[in-house]
Amino acid sequence: MRNCDRIRDRLLDLVEGEMPARQSREAEEHIARCPECAREVRELRDTLVRLRTLPEPALPDCLFDDITATVRRRIAHETPPRLPFYQRVAAWLRDLPGLRPVPALSAAAVLGLLLAIGLVRTPRTPQPSPTLEVIAVGESLPIAQNLDILEQFDLLEDLDLLEQLPVLRVPGNGRSLKMG
Amino acid sequence: MRGGRFRPPERGPSCPLFERIVSQPDFEVIRQVLDGETAAFELLVLQYQQTIFRLAQRMTRNTEDAKDITQEAFVQAYRSLRSFQGQSSFSTWLYRIAVNLCLNRLKASRREDPVEVDGNFPDAREDSLATLLTSERDRALAAAIEELPPQQRATLTLRVYQGLSHREIAHVLDCAEGTAKANYFHAIRTLQRKLEAFRDTG
Repeated sequence: MRNCDRIRDRLLDLVEGEMPARQSREAEEHIARCPECAREVRELRDTLVRLRTLPEPALPDCLFDDITATVRRRIAHETPPRLPFYQRVAAWLRDLPGLRPVPALSAAAVLGLLLAIGLVRTPRTPQPSPTLEVIAVGESLPIAQNLDILEQFDLLEDLDLLEQLPVLRVPGNGRSLKMG
Repeated sequence: MRGGRFRPPERGPSCPLFERIVSQPDFEVIRQVLDGETAAFELLVLQYQQTIFRLAQRMTRNTEDAKDITQEAFVQAYRSLRSFQGQSSFSTWLYRIAVNLCLNRLKASRREDPVEVDGNFPDAREDSLATLLTSERDRALAAAIEELPPQQRATLTLRVYQGLSHREIAHVLDCAEGTAKANYFHAIRTLQRKLEAFRDTG
């Protein structure tokens, strides 16, 4: 009886073949001696068979053509899903065979590329963002070492903001961020 | 619409689209869609619409509801494709969307009058006693599934018909693996008891 209590709740695992081999052998030995547990196993098997053979409703002929056409029509009006720019660049760099084993180098390359874009385009008059907040960092620290801080402000997602990085002023003292 | 509009796919095993469905991994197709080749999304629709429809049909036991849910699941998947992180397979992710839609539909339908349950049960009037008993048993089983709590019904469907592991089911239903396993166990036990009346006769 004690064995029945221990095994009964795991008979479904046994029936589905998910019981570890050793426990499965012990359970089989018990079932061979226990008519109650043997009946339980038969009923569980029967229930699963009945479930799997339950008749399905007949389907209309062009059901799946209709579904495909409706989905096609509906998503034609949706904005196409696109990865953010920085993720596309990162994915592109990650796929370069030479960079694949060096994720840090890939990240540095992304940063370098984005900063280069910003530096090359600096002659444009910067448009100050009303919600921009720049925290003060040490004068001697390069941007790359403050990446963890900058990332908290989603700077990398905003290309316009990145273009302004070289001319950003630190609030309070009017200094520019050091660029390395 | 950027990146090309959807065009009706060619049909048949010799067409290029068919070959792409068979040969391309889902991740590759998703990447193409995110890279702007939005028409590639139809490969995923063609690949999974039957699976999702059957899942929804087994959950709702209603063909029209299942059709609506299948369409909606793909549209929602398209909208949020960029948030697909690849931590699970695309099919598991799609199951999650579809099952949530089914659960919402079940929740809403419980407030309304019960709908007629779809099922291809044979007409017992012209058949033998054995067929009559089988038909009655199947109807009783279908009714018993209808009465299961929605989470148990979802677990049962994903396990028995979709063949998911308890871990995958937990991921789809956003619950602990132990909870998924317990729900499945209770569902099977409930159905086992419902079938007892037919065992001696069938």
